[in-house]
Amino acid sequence: MKLVIFNGSPRYKKSNSAILTEHFLKGHSLFCSEPVPVYYIANYKQREAAAQIVEDADTVLVIFPLYTDCMPGIVKEFFEILAAHKYSSAKQLGFIVQSGFPESIHSMGLERYLEKLTHRLQFDYLGTVIKGGVEGIQIMPPAMTKKLYGQFEMLGAHFAQHTAFEPTLVTQLRKPYRFSKTYAWVFNLLSKTGITNFYWNSNLKKNGAFEQRFDRPYRN
Amino acid sequence: MRITILNGDMAVGESVFSDYIEQLAVQLKANHSVEVFDIQKMDLHYCTGCWCCWWKTPGRCIKPDNAEQIFRSVIGSDFVIFASPLMAAFTSSALKKITDRLICLLHPYIKLKNGESHHRKRYDHYPDFGLILQREPDTDDEDISILNDIYDRLGLNFHNKRKYTRFIELDTIDKIIYETCNI
Repeated sequence: MKLVIFNGSPRYKKSNSAILTEHFLKGHSLFCSEPVPVYYIANYKQREAAAQIVEDADTVLVIFPLYTDCMPGIVKEFFEILAAHKYSSAKQLGFIVQSGFPESIHSMGLERYLEKLTHRLQFDYLGTVIKGGVEGIQIMPPAMTKKLYGQFEMLGAHFAQHTAFEPTLVTQLRKPYRFSKTYAWVFNLLSKTGITNFYWNSNLKKNGAFEQRFDRPYRN
Repeated sequence: MRITILNGDMAVGESVFSDYIEQLAVQLKANHSVEVFDIQKMDLHYCTGCWCCWWKTPGRCIKPDNAEQIFRSVIGSDFVIFASPLMAAFTSSALKKITDRLICLLHPYIKLKNGESHHRKRYDHYPDFGLILQREPDTDDEDISILNDIYDRLGLNFHNKRKYTRFIELDTIDKIIYETCNI
């Protein structure tokens, strides 16, 4: 199996997608000694070469963040490049979609699109891993990310052995689909205290922009 | 009405799609204020998720390009038309590029609605929108269903609604004008 990974984050190597890829590959390396190249769609040259890279591979994974409940524009450009090429053999194609919002419902329409795109390319669909609540992992203490990174290492280990996403992990990772009524009630209660805005407010204050937080600069 | 048309056609040179949009704009301008943006011809960068618009320069995108005129037009409109030939079964990357950038029109604070997280409004009013598309040879009903689902979610996130999805092969300009102004 010649596996390649495309990282579709516009944040490039400093992305959360890069961190999740690193842990996926850490698990993968336990069962496969062959190095797995990682290409960056945000890199113009690598994006332009994408169709040839896919042509030369057997199996392709694409990992990217959710933008407006869809793929980022730069990943859409990548898909257009892939769709414009005729491939000499069928490939296996899978996706990992990560988002800031914790609920997987935001990614469900996109998941349908990714499966259809794969069939349109006449490739074999390996599925889509959906993981929400990823924004902020770079500032979280290790205790808060240990489980997530462990899950991605297991995902990579299983993939190295079976060329498939482990179904139980896929199910676990996409929870919650939506928040429960109880959670929503607690969240709404806490939002009245302002605590749910803590992350945003601390960054606004750090940047000296807190007083301007409700600005409407594009109002005519 | 104030109407913004975001044309994501990426064709080089003459195109049936852009001709259709131009005709639509001409006829709409007879009775309405209309701004048309040919996205592919503009200097526009991809959103890089820097979040400056949320926590450094609230509401303002720092990318040094021509997006500000689009932001002003969209938020000042009564209706927005997202227009694009389908490419790889979705609207073009050019149109998606500017759609991603509209995030600066929202506030970072989050509220829950039907068990889902959504960003709060930054502005009082967000215009409803319509889709005008051109099919690919292999476009099928499932493609359209997926596309509508994704754009309906865009509406949920942007506190507005998709009012229609129309196709230049199937729908007359008169019909689209009627729906744009009367739905």
